[in-house]
Amino acid sequence: MALAFDEFGRPFIILKEQEQMTRLRGLDAQKANISAGKAVARILRTSLGPKGMDKMLQSPDGDVTITNDGATILEQMDVDNQIAKLMVELSRSQDYEIGDGTTGVVVMAGALLEQAEKLLERGIHPIRIAEGYEMASRIAFEHLENVAHKYEFDATNIEPLVQTCMTTLSSKIVNRCKRSLAEIAVKAVLAVADLERKDVNLDLIKVEGKVGGKLEDTELIYGIVVDKDMSHPQMPKQIEDAKIAILTCPFEPPKPKTKHKVDIDTVEKFQTLRQQEQKYFDDMVQQCKDVGATLVICQWGFDDEANHLLMHRNLPAVRWVGGVELELIAIATGGRIVPRFQELTPEKLGKAGLVREKAFGTTKDRMIYIEHCANSKAVTIFIRGGNKMILEETKRSLHDALCVARNLIRNNSIVYGGGSAEISCSIAVEAAADKYPGVEQYAIRAFADALDAIPMALAENSGLQPIETLSAVKAQQIKENNHYCGIDCNDIGTNDMREQDVFETLIGKQQQIMLATQVVKMILKIDDVISSSDY
Amino acid sequence: MASMMQPQIILLKEGTDTSQGKPQLISNINACMAVADVVRTTLGPRGMDKLIHDEKGNTTISNDGATIMKLLDIIHPAAKILVDIAKSQDSEVGDGTTTVVLLAGEFLKEAKPFIEDGVHSQNLIRSYRTASHLAIEKVKELAVSIEGKSLEEKKNLLAKCAATTLSSKLIGGEKEFFASMVVDAVLAIGNDDRLNMIGMKKVPGGNMRDSFLVNGVAFKKTFSYAGFEQQPKKFENPKILLLNIELELKSEKENAEIRLSDPLQYQSIVDAEWNIIYDKLDKCVKSGAKVVLSRLAIGDLATQYFADRDIFCAGRVTEEDLQRVAAASGGTVQTTVNNIIDEVLGTCELFEESQVGNERFNIFSGCPSGRTATIVLRGGADQFIEEAERSLHDAIMIVRRALKNSTVVAGGGAIDMEISRYLRQHARTIAGKSQLFINSYAKALEVIPRQLCDNAGFDATDVLNKLRQKHALPSGEGAPYGVDINTGGIADSFANFVWEPAVVKINAINAATEAACLVLSVDETIKNPKSESAQGEAAAGAMGGRGRGGAAFRGRGRGMRSWA
Repeated sequence: MALAFDEFGRPFIILKEQEQMTRLRGLDAQKANISAGKAVARILRTSLGPKGMDKMLQSPDGDVTITNDGATILEQMDVDNQIAKLMVELSRSQDYEIGDGTTGVVVMAGALLEQAEKLLERGIHPIRIAEGYEMASRIAFEHLENVAHKYEFDATNIEPLVQTCMTTLSSKIVNRCKRSLAEIAVKAVLAVADLERKDVNLDLIKVEGKVGGKLEDTELIYGIVVDKDMSHPQMPKQIEDAKIAILTCPFEPPKPKTKHKVDIDTVEKFQTLRQQEQKYFDDMVQQCKDVGATLVICQWGFDDEANHLLMHRNLPAVRWVGGVELELIAIATGGRIVPRFQELTPEKLGKAGLVREKAFGTTKDRMIYIEHCANSKAVTIFIRGGNKMILEETKRSLHDALCVARNLIRNNSIVYGGGSAEISCSIAVEAAADKYPGVEQYAIRAFADALDAIPMALAENSGLQPIETLSAVKAQQIKENNHYCGIDCNDIGTNDMREQDVFETLIGKQQQIMLATQVVKMILKIDDVISSSDY
Repeated sequence: MASMMQPQIILLKEGTDTSQGKPQLISNINACMAVADVVRTTLGPRGMDKLIHDEKGNTTISNDGATIMKLLDIIHPAAKILVDIAKSQDSEVGDGTTTVVLLAGEFLKEAKPFIEDGVHSQNLIRSYRTASHLAIEKVKELAVSIEGKSLEEKKNLLAKCAATTLSSKLIGGEKEFFASMVVDAVLAIGNDDRLNMIGMKKVPGGNMRDSFLVNGVAFKKTFSYAGFEQQPKKFENPKILLLNIELELKSEKENAEIRLSDPLQYQSIVDAEWNIIYDKLDKCVKSGAKVVLSRLAIGDLATQYFADRDIFCAGRVTEEDLQRVAAASGGTVQTTVNNIIDEVLGTCELFEESQVGNERFNIFSGCPSGRTATIVLRGGADQFIEEAERSLHDAIMIVRRALKNSTVVAGGGAIDMEISRYLRQHARTIAGKSQLFINSYAKALEVIPRQLCDNAGFDATDVLNKLRQKHALPSGEGAPYGVDINTGGIADSFANFVWEPAVVKINAINAATEAACLVLSVDETIKNPKSESAQGEAAAGAMGGRGRGGAAFRGRGRGMRSWA
């Protein structure tokens, strides 16, 4: 902390624990902040694009994560620097809002900061830079709308959606079977989507995984998969046209919530109590039977006595099913959750065409599949994969794909990927820059340069000559007035992204630009960092 | 120096630090100036933000004077006064917190040379007070009333005020967008004094422009039990039942105990408990309400019961949100489910649960009494949203103030320049020392335009001279001229709609003068050593000397020695 001195050269103590505070001011603060932001961006830069590399992260307790999802990497890095934390949050908010493009947004912010640094060195006021960026981001935002395409699709024609999801998945480790995963994601989203309201509740899509098998074995189940098995090994493993009783009460004598005590003072009383308990079990099972249930799914457990009884009465049961799963089952089967046995009625039973228990490989793992449900508004994606890391990464990748599909349902505009949108924006911003008088012009131009960072990183990660490739594509865009030229990452032989079928959602791209600009503006605006020196 | 020879008379406890006299005064002034320097750069549309990182690891990025002062954790007794005026400005008018600190610092700075030259501080105080009265009179005279305009016009004018406040903030780039949002929100709650009727919800993600105003109430989905997803999520004109009871299967009394001697009665007890809860639920359903909200938990049983009957429910709604729903929908919060009559049920045009970012939100819109509004803020990072919230708070306060007092003055330093000119002119008519003091007061006021220029990287002297010339025009047409932040020249602030409510300026001048006078009137600090332990030593030394023998001793007492 810069100290103030009085007439006699004695320092003031103005702040609490002043000696322990550190303070960075002015240009130094800005430079330090920028370099922190850039450092984060540099880490993610190599993860961008279809040929991007993965990062391996080890948590303090030894868990290993391998991913190239920007948000996940940053989350796990556990950064300490304040500005770096802002970048983490930037990526996270892209994740929350769009679900995809979490790497791109950080790379973009990093590039903007890098350009800002140069401008600061020239003595341009940071706020003027921020304002210039703001103007430029608006130009880019509008330009994106101009180059965007409306993509028509409906429940039967899902091809466009699949193509977009494939673009997202192509940068992931699972790109080997991106086609099938993309289809799964799209079908899942369409199953739960409310096309009229354009609302998709992703909570209704359950993503389950089990180690073993191949990635190709991943499947979409129009129904629910529960990681449980039948309560008794001898119960039937397959039930057709199941009528399911969904219970939130245990198979045991009900207990009043009020503190209670049963005074037993004679042998007779004890026997009646015993009999009563048995009768309870009997009644419960009978009640289930009476309404015609052929399967009982219970939120709680039941003891061996009840289990035996159920087995005996030929009523298969599943116990300890979690609340969330219970709810999904209820939605999928059109049943109602029943809080006590007395309330069971035939109408409250859920219906499923097929319930089966499936064992995997040689392991003892079993899962219960509830399929052909009355209402397919709840679906499950069941992922198989060689090891836990692949499984986790697939889950994350699928999450991205699901989000992309959801965004397209909300807004069916797309832009072309492969850096073509960025290049085209860069050209538009560059051209617009000349119209602005004042210092902002420089900032706008810098913004255009920063936009080039994404195609540049794409080219670099794909092993191409970045500058050469970029300038070639840029020239081509201008010459042919074709906004869809991008970086040919997969070496297919054409630069036209329309032919390569590489799409991204318009809102995702717009969001990237807006968010990156916002955060950069925030970082530029700080000229004073006061902190306890422990940090 | 004969007094040194005499045995020391100990009046106060050992270690107590007392500082006295002129050096003490100077020292206090210096401390205040140091504090004012911290917030100096945050003033105006080109003001910078501060990143403050406390020992707990919380980070705040802010441009709001009051917030920064609060977080700095100032312990210097005199400097604390500045924190207090910033706070009081914040609670009184909500904006201008940086201005007030800066003004106070500048008043003291101008006073310093006089004190050093031996002017009695009371003289200064008297002149400062006179000057502040004159200044406030002048502000009132220059203020333009927006009373009597049509609603549409008024809205426009209020939005201008809000935009001026917001322009210095992080969300300045979207100031028009937010300004109109703020004005709508404030007009929605009308004359209601309860500021908490404007709710602010923060959802990370999205960009600023995704923020929206709900003409009603919105809150995040509460914790829900199984069965919740089976409830309908959209109603038109639903009746809303607001409760403050638990709807859960539980023991009615904590300390009650049931003793059964006959096992056969067991079932009846169980049934009795179920009946109690079913009875409650049944009454809720019978009331005709389609949306049931409770401040306390709504258990899984109730959730499923409502789901079966196509009723939406949410438990553990926070008190604030429930109050807002009550105010908006015209319902009353019930503490029992007995005897629910139609009058206590609220209603709204549309209830919907929808996705905002990563969260699901319950949104009640089109409420009949319309006395509430909720702003849902979106933004890229937590700190960003926090700062946006603070900025909007300022803007809301400003609009409310402007609505009540309905007078505005030109911003951009124009009003400060004009007062300064007026005071200088007035000073010339005074005979005596006071002339000098009022002149220096006038000079201190110029700090606002000067700082505006400094922060924007313009040549302050150049701009100030231009402004002085404009303001000195005899016709008075130059009065609304202030700093033009875009070009580095001067411009008519009034015509460019850089406006602020007069009350902000009045309060700022008042508070700053008060604070300056307070600091000037202190000539002794007595510090009890116990209140601060290890720090006290250093602080005591820094506080200046202890003048045992009175003011003539120039404060070189024990405190000084112990430090050296």
